[in-house]
Amino acid sequence: MSIIDRIDAWFPKGKIGKNDQLVGAGLMIGYVIWLLATARELGFPRDEGFYFRAAGDYSRWFDLLFREPKQAMLQSQIDPIWQENHEHPSLMKGLFALSWLKLYSQHKIFADQSTAFRFPAMVLSSVSLWITYLFGARAYSRRAGLVGAMSLALMPHVFFHSHLACFDAPIMTMWLASIYVYWRARQEGGLGWALLAGVVYGLTLETKHNAWILPAVFIPHAIIAGWGGTGRLLKRGVFPIPASILSMAIVGPLVFYWLWPWLWNDTFARLQEYVNFHVNHVYYNIEYLHKNYFSAPSPRSYAPVMILATVPTITLVLFVMGFGERIKANALLIWNFARRIKDKSLPKSKRDPHETDLLLALGLAAPIAVFVLLTKTPIFGGTKHWMTAYPLLAIFAGRGFEVVSDAMLRALPKAVDEVRRRGAVLALAASALIAPLAVTIHSHPFGLSAYVPFAGGTAGGADLGLNRQFWGFTTESVGPWLAANAPPNARVFIHDTAWDSWARMIDEHRMRADLRGTGSPSDADFGLVHIELHMNEVDYQSWVAFETDEPAYVLTHDGVPIVTVYGRRPR
Amino acid sequence: MTDSAPAPEESTPDSDSKPAAAPVVVPEEKSPEKQPSSAIAPWKRWAFAIVPAVGVIELVLHVAQTHGAPSDADWERAKLEISLTAKPEDLVVVAPDWVDPLAREKLGGDILTIEREARPDATRFPRAIELSMRGKHLVEFAQWKVAQTKDVGPFVLTTFENPAPMKVIDDLLSHMASRKMKVFRLDRPDGYGWGSECQRQLLGSESGNIGFGPAIPADRFTCKGGEIVGISVVPDLDYVPRRCFLAPPPGNATVRVEFSEVHFGKALHGHHGISVHAERDLTGAPVNILFRSGPIVLGKYVHRDGDGWKGFEADTSDLAGTVGELAVEISATNGANRQYCFEADTR
Repeated sequence: MSIIDRIDAWFPKGKIGKNDQLVGAGLMIGYVIWLLATARELGFPRDEGFYFRAAGDYSRWFDLLFREPKQAMLQSQIDPIWQENHEHPSLMKGLFALSWLKLYSQHKIFADQSTAFRFPAMVLSSVSLWITYLFGARAYSRRAGLVGAMSLALMPHVFFHSHLACFDAPIMTMWLASIYVYWRARQEGGLGWALLAGVVYGLTLETKHNAWILPAVFIPHAIIAGWGGTGRLLKRGVFPIPASILSMAIVGPLVFYWLWPWLWNDTFARLQEYVNFHVNHVYYNIEYLHKNYFSAPSPRSYAPVMILATVPTITLVLFVMGFGERIKANALLIWNFARRIKDKSLPKSKRDPHETDLLLALGLAAPIAVFVLLTKTPIFGGTKHWMTAYPLLAIFAGRGFEVVSDAMLRALPKAVDEVRRRGAVLALAASALIAPLAVTIHSHPFGLSAYVPFAGGTAGGADLGLNRQFWGFTTESVGPWLAANAPPNARVFIHDTAWDSWARMIDEHRMRADLRGTGSPSDADFGLVHIELHMNEVDYQSWVAFETDEPAYVLTHDGVPIVTVYGRRPR
Repeated sequence: MTDSAPAPEESTPDSDSKPAAAPVVVPEEKSPEKQPSSAIAPWKRWAFAIVPAVGVIELVLHVAQTHGAPSDADWERAKLEISLTAKPEDLVVVAPDWVDPLAREKLGGDILTIEREARPDATRFPRAIELSMRGKHLVEFAQWKVAQTKDVGPFVLTTFENPAPMKVIDDLLSHMASRKMKVFRLDRPDGYGWGSECQRQLLGSESGNIGFGPAIPADRFTCKGGEIVGISVVPDLDYVPRRCFLAPPPGNATVRVEFSEVHFGKALHGHHGISVHAERDLTGAPVNILFRSGPIVLGKYVHRDGDGWKGFEADTSDLAGTVGELAVEISATNGANRQYCFEADTR
C-alpha cells in the first residue's frame, strides 16, 4: 500500500471522521505549543494587567467554593470579589483564575503566573483552528479546511492576541463555535444539537459582548434557509423557529446568568449597568491615516483598510477567489431558479439546504458591518474588534485555495502521476502559507506594529499613519536595555503600562527587579514613551522633564520607533 | 489530500460525517473540469499561477523590508554630513516624521535641538537641511528652492533655500534666559485692577501621564493664584511640538508678562495655541492676548478652540529700531482647561 493509498484510507473522500478530528486537534496543540514557546517574549498589555488582578481575586472565590460551597454562595462573599472588573463577563477571567489556581499555585506546571493566567485563552484561541478546519472540511474540502485553518493561524494580529489573557481571541473562537454548532444543529437536527447550540451561545455571551451581534447572523440565515418551508408552515398558522435558535434565546441567557456570579444579586440593575457600559463606551484614541480619532464619527473605511493592511495579502487573494467563486455559484443558482419559473422543462438546480455559503458570509460580514455601517462604533481596538470575522474569512480563503489548486491540477499534463500532482498541491499550499508564516514569526513581539509586505511592512504602516501599538505592552522589550544601562534602584516612568502589568513583569524578572516604576517623567531617572500619535503629549513633556529631546535609547522594529527612552543626564 | 466538495447528490442530510453540499450549478457542457486542458485558453489555463506568484512576491517584499533599515554606520555617516552642511542658523529636519525619535537618538540633541524640532514656523530659517529616507519629504518645504541634494547611504540630504527668510531681531523666548522679563497677576480679567508680581522659581519640573497636559518647566514664574508662566513644549492641535511660553489664563484675572528691553523691528510676529487635549473637544473659552508697548496697543488677538497653532503679526514700523518695553496680557472668561501658550519675535 503506497503512502497515497494510506492517506486516502485515513481520509476517505467525502467523509469527515475521527482522523479529521485528530488533524484539528493537532493544529490546535501545535498552535498552543507555539504560543507557549513565545509567550515570555511578549510583555503585558494594560488590559492583561486588569484581568490578572481580577482573576487573582476570583481565584479566592473559587478557593472558597471548593472548600465551603455554601459560604461561597453568600452575597457577602460574592460581591466584594466579583465586583472587580464587572464590566466584562466572567468566563475567561474565571478560567484564568482556575488555571492559575491549579496550574501555578497548586501544581506548578507553569513557572510564570502570567502563563497560567494566559493558558486558557491560548487554548481557546487555538481551538479556532480546530473548528476552522472542521468547518472548512465539511463545507468544502479538507484542503479548504486545512489551508483555511493555517491561514488563520498565520495572521500576525491573530497570533498576537492569541497570547493574551484577554477576551478578543477567545471571542473569535466562540463566535465561530456558535456558528458552527448552529450549522451542525441544522444539519443533524435533534434536541441534543439544539441544546448544544444554546449552551455554546451562552458561553459566547459569557466570553464577550460581541455575542450580541450574533442574532444578525442567525436570524437572517434561518429565514432565508427555511424560505420555502416557512411559507407553507405560516399558511397553516405555524410560526417556525429553528430549535437551535429557540435554544440560543432561552438556554443562552441562562448559561450567561448562571456562570456570572456578579449577576446573581441585583440582577437587572447590574445587567443594565453592563449593557450601558458597552453601549456608551468611552472612545479611546487611535491613529488612522495620520489622524487621531477620539470620538464619533469613526471613519467607515477603517475596518476594510486595516484588514488590507494587516491580513497577509496572499490570504486575501485566496479569500477573494473563494468568496468570488461562491458568489458566482450562488448567482448561477438564483439565475437558474429564475429561468425555471418561465420554463418548467429546465432541470431543477440543487440548492444547499443549509445555505452554508450564506451562513459563512453573514458570520464574516456582521462583525465588519458594525464598523462600516455605523459611524458611532469606536475604533480604538484596531483589528481585534472584528477578529471574529477572520475564521470565516479564512474558510473562504481555504475554498479559494481549493479552486486554485483544482485549476492547477487541470493545467498539468495528463501524464503527470498522482504523486507529483499531490506534490504540486503541497507546493501551492507552501506558496500560500510561507509568506504569512515568515511575516507572523517576524512580527513577534510587535504584533500590533506589523503590517503586511504589500502595505510596506512595519515602516509602510508608519508611512500610512496607522496605529503603531496600544496598551503599553512593549515595555518588556526595553527591559534588556534598562537592565544594562540603569543604575541600581533607578526610577522608571512606565507611561502606558498598567501598574498591575508592571508589577507582574517585575515579579517574573522580565524587568530588572530593583527598577521602580513612577507615574511622572519628572520623578524618573528614565522615562518611557510608547509611540502613538496622541502620546506625543507625553513625549514633549519628557523633553521638558529631562531637559533634552535626545533619547537615551529608541526601541525599533524594522527601523521603526516603538518606544523612546529618555534618561536624566548628570548635572 | 486532494479531495474536493462532493456533488450535491452525494450529500445526505442525516449523515453526521459527510460534508455539506456546495451548490454546483455550472451547466455540465460548460464545466471546465470536463474540458480537455488543451481546449482552455493558455492564459486561463495558467491563471492559477497568480496565487503562488503573489505568495512569492509577498515573501520577497517581506525579506527586503525586514533588512532595509539604516544601520548605525549609515546614521553616523548622515550625522557627519549634516555637521558639515548645516550652519547654526539653519533648520535641520528629518522625513518621514515617524523616524524623528530615532533620528534624535542617532543625530543627537545638538543637531535636532528642541528649538528646531518645536519651531513656531520655518520663516526665520534661511535654509532647511532635510535628511530623508524612503523617498519621503516634508510638505513644509515644497515651495522652497532645492539648492543641493546628496545621497548618503539610504538617506538623501537635501538643502532647501528659503525664498523669503525673515531676520529675527528679538525672540521673546530668549528673554527667559536673559532675565529681562517679569510676570504679574492682575486681579481683573480686563487687564486692570491690582497687580501682584509673580515669583520666579527654579523648582523641579512637573509632568505626568497622558492627560496631564504640557509639562510645567522647572524654571518658571509662579503667581499667588497658582498661575504659572514658563517655557514648555506644547502639542498643538495637530500634535506637533511647539516651544512657547506656557501661560494659562486664570479666568478671573489677567496674566501680564513684561519684557523690559525688546528690540523692535517692523513687525511683531507670533503664534498662540492650546495643548491639543485641552482644545480638541472645542468646549473651552476663547483666550485673548494683547500686546502693548507703553500706552500703545500693538495688537489684540483671540484664540478659539479649533484654531490650532495660530499665527498673528502686528505692524510695529513706528517702533522699528527702538528698544523698549513690551507687555503681553493674557485673559479668558473661563480658565478651565486653558493650557494656553504663545511665542513671538520682532523682525
